[in-house]
Amino acid sequence: MSDYGVLLQQVINGLSLGAMYALLALGFTLVYGILELINFAHFNVFMVSSFVGMWALELLGISGQGQVLTGLALAGALIFAFAATMLAGGVLGVAIERLSLRPLRGVPGTAAMITTIGVSYILFNIILLTVGAGSENYPNPLPVVRWQFGEVTLELKTLLIWGVSTALMVALHLFVNRTRLGKAMRATAQDAEAARMMGVDVDRVVVTAFFLGSALAGAAALIFGLYYNYTSFIIGYTAGLRAFTAAVLGGIGSVPGAMVGGVLIGLIETLGGQLIAVRWTDVIIFSILILVLVFVPTGLFGRAAPTKS
Amino acid sequence: MTRTGTRLAILGITAAALLFPLVNQNDADIDSAANALAFAALALGLNIVVGFAGLLDLGYAAFFAIGAYAYGVASSWQVQPAWSGFWEPFQWLDLVTRFHAAGGDVVHFQVSFWLMLPIAAAIAAFFGVLFGAPTLRLKGDYLAIVTLGFGEIVPIVARNIPSVTNGAMGLNGVAAPRAFGFDFGIDATPYYYVGVALVAFLIFTSQRLKDSRIGRAWMAIREDEVAAMAMGVDRVRYKLLAFAIGAGFAGATGTFYVAKLQTATPEMFMFPVSVMILVMVVFGGIGSVWGVVVGALLLQILQSWFLEDLSGWLHALGRFIGVDWLQHVELASSIELIFGLILVLMMLYRRQGLIPAARRITPLSLDEQTVRPVPAQLAPNALVTTQDGAQRQLLEIADLSVRFGGLVALQSVELSVPRQSVVAVIGPNGSGKSTLFNAVTGLVAADRGNIRFAGREIIRLRPHQVLERGIVRTFQNIRLFPNLSVLENVMIGMHAGLATGPVGAVLRLPATRSEEAAARERALEILALFGNRLLPRADHPAASLSYANRRRTEIARALAARPKLLMLDEPTAGMNPAETSELADQIKSLNRFGLTILLIEHKLDVVALLADQVVVLDHGEKIAEGPPAAVRRDEEVIRAYLGRSAVFA
Repeated sequence: MSDYGVLLQQVINGLSLGAMYALLALGFTLVYGILELINFAHFNVFMVSSFVGMWALELLGISGQGQVLTGLALAGALIFAFAATMLAGGVLGVAIERLSLRPLRGVPGTAAMITTIGVSYILFNIILLTVGAGSENYPNPLPVVRWQFGEVTLELKTLLIWGVSTALMVALHLFVNRTRLGKAMRATAQDAEAARMMGVDVDRVVVTAFFLGSALAGAAALIFGLYYNYTSFIIGYTAGLRAFTAAVLGGIGSVPGAMVGGVLIGLIETLGGQLIAVRWTDVIIFSILILVLVFVPTGLFGRAAPTKS
Repeated sequence: MTRTGTRLAILGITAAALLFPLVNQNDADIDSAANALAFAALALGLNIVVGFAGLLDLGYAAFFAIGAYAYGVASSWQVQPAWSGFWEPFQWLDLVTRFHAAGGDVVHFQVSFWLMLPIAAAIAAFFGVLFGAPTLRLKGDYLAIVTLGFGEIVPIVARNIPSVTNGAMGLNGVAAPRAFGFDFGIDATPYYYVGVALVAFLIFTSQRLKDSRIGRAWMAIREDEVAAMAMGVDRVRYKLLAFAIGAGFAGATGTFYVAKLQTATPEMFMFPVSVMILVMVVFGGIGSVWGVVVGALLLQILQSWFLEDLSGWLHALGRFIGVDWLQHVELASSIELIFGLILVLMMLYRRQGLIPAARRITPLSLDEQTVRPVPAQLAPNALVTTQDGAQRQLLEIADLSVRFGGLVALQSVELSVPRQSVVAVIGPNGSGKSTLFNAVTGLVAADRGNIRFAGREIIRLRPHQVLERGIVRTFQNIRLFPNLSVLENVMIGMHAGLATGPVGAVLRLPATRSEEAAARERALEILALFGNRLLPRADHPAASLSYANRRRTEIARALAARPKLLMLDEPTAGMNPAETSELADQIKSLNRFGLTILLIEHKLDVVALLADQVVVLDHGEKIAEGPPAAVRRDEEVIRAYLGRSAVFA
């Protein structure tokens, strides 16, 4: 394979990872846009959801990568798995908001952020203590189908990931921009106090943001499992930080920004790993995070500088 | 607690700490106590950053790592450059030795542990500044994520450059400290005593910093960054200082910890370590010096001494009541779950921690609560300002324009404030009055125009520089530092006028003591301006004050900065008629004493009483100007306030 072909293949891989990061980044951005809170619990909502997805697939009798389904059976299994994972993620996100964050709404300073770190730690350790420290072989009903285009291979799972993420992002976009609740969300993000006075039920908006963001994290989690064929208690941390970087790169609070940022981070990860070295990938990504925050704090699509006024 | 009581308590704690290894001679116990002391030192350092300055640092272990690897590399044979003349001076200083190796002579580093303690602190502090400088302008929560990224990068770098750090295997053969010909070796007791000394020194340093001009500036930033800037605190400088000192504590502790373990691996400094230190701070009490020490010691001792026993008791309980899962609980492996629970439960139910930093308040007597207004009483010493320069106009604003995106907040505004006059700015809501104040005080960037103060341009100055020139303001929506006392609030107003730096604050030499005492006395004099409204409440947190008293405290804080021009943004807003006239009298007397005042005010009777000159803004433009009586009859003004029809009615 020529260098060019390798790079092109890494672009394909990067787009798949990027789609996953974008879904995960949307959760950070939705919550940040409304509460100005970095939700560290999101990292491990993603991780827990990946286990829920695994159990959902196992419930259908699928284990490992050997049991391939086709046609309607495959579509049904996937729809069931995505629905279960997204619902579980969404419910978990809402529970976190209700139980640990709502009592702290309006408390100034870092209290809410520290709480999300605590919640993240609790989720992490619950899985570590109950499931164990090993990595789990992820059930995958997708048949291995490959198409060869010159030097580049396109797999069925790649197409599935692109399709599902695009559909979800379009759906979110329509929800935010075309529905009443979406309009309430945008209003709250601009000015929560004014929105409240105009009759917007801010609590409902917050719950919606947590539900949608966490449900998208659920979808990202299932994609992670299907893409890498494993999951583990540890996956939330790295993926979460990369997705957060994506949200910042795109401009935190901006829905299209999270999508574009996710894809860029995916590409940076695969191409950086290819061109430099995989062991430096995280250093590259965190350096981007720091550089973006310092030099372009609004990100690519951000509306307001995150410096304190 | 009384002063003597505090001293006795400290004496008792010190004695117990010193006697512990003599009483309990179990080496393993002493060893875990020494480790606990290392974490207490780390908690003290993080407390400066998180507790005092209010900056959430999630990568604090990175500075611990930097200090650890600094000593590790400087005292092991991991890095062995070829010998050359360059190294000879270092050999004389006994920092390196020449080692005869097969392929040519090489350098062996052997820097003393005692020398490396301050050097490692300085190196870590340097990295604190390096990473802090570009990121500390960011809002607090962004800083958290940047520090998280930084905390992630450092161990990765340590793992990826094995030539210096021996990579994931870890540094080996780190030298044990030596003192007076005695090698510390692997016996825990000497390390324990070094740990006690380190923690004692850091407690002392933290306390001294906290009760000083530096500590007040940090807490002001923590409480309200904008108000801190407006009161003369250079926020970037003080945040960096907190970051650097916090990092320095971690650097010294890293050296201690690695010397004790005689190895350093990247895993010792990963994210969970940063979180553990944060848990200790949160558990003990954010901002409370003794609290974080107790938090760190309790959690460490819990881990190393009690978790095994507790698990055993749970197993016994499980067998006794026949619950199977209880018999398999291993608390030691659940420690991080416990940490997570501590973070969440403390935040939800006890945010001030085990030992809160806040002081107790003595309730006021009935007599003290009885208001005895002292109108127009002045304490001249407290207020003297030097009026330099010859210009008749103290403040001259020319062609000032401010835009927010498409919105024009101010359009070519001209305004001048003659010396020793009172100028009032009036106008409907949204007419740009507060934006004018923000532009003058550097909180909002002007798009065009000039602002000259005492003949010098100030338009590009940052807020604390504007204050240093002599312009001090209050805020329309009152921005006090809610958890600091009334007295501390006023003393923060003096920040720019005081000189104590971090070293002076720790050493507390006679010069610092007398400066501090004089500042306190002057603050009390200023509070006395308002009769007994504020004086009996000097030690109360600002948040507990009534609305009118908060307004008065804010004015007192502004006066403490010795303004040449005092800018009051709606000083009587929300006050009843009696309070309004009391305050108006007091403002009038300030002016009579020579203070120039620019104020925004809606109550026209107050304006008529106070102002020599009135400027009317509407939609960001000046529509009228003149003495109060003339402005009141101006048709433009009536139209702006009451609408077009009012003019022709």
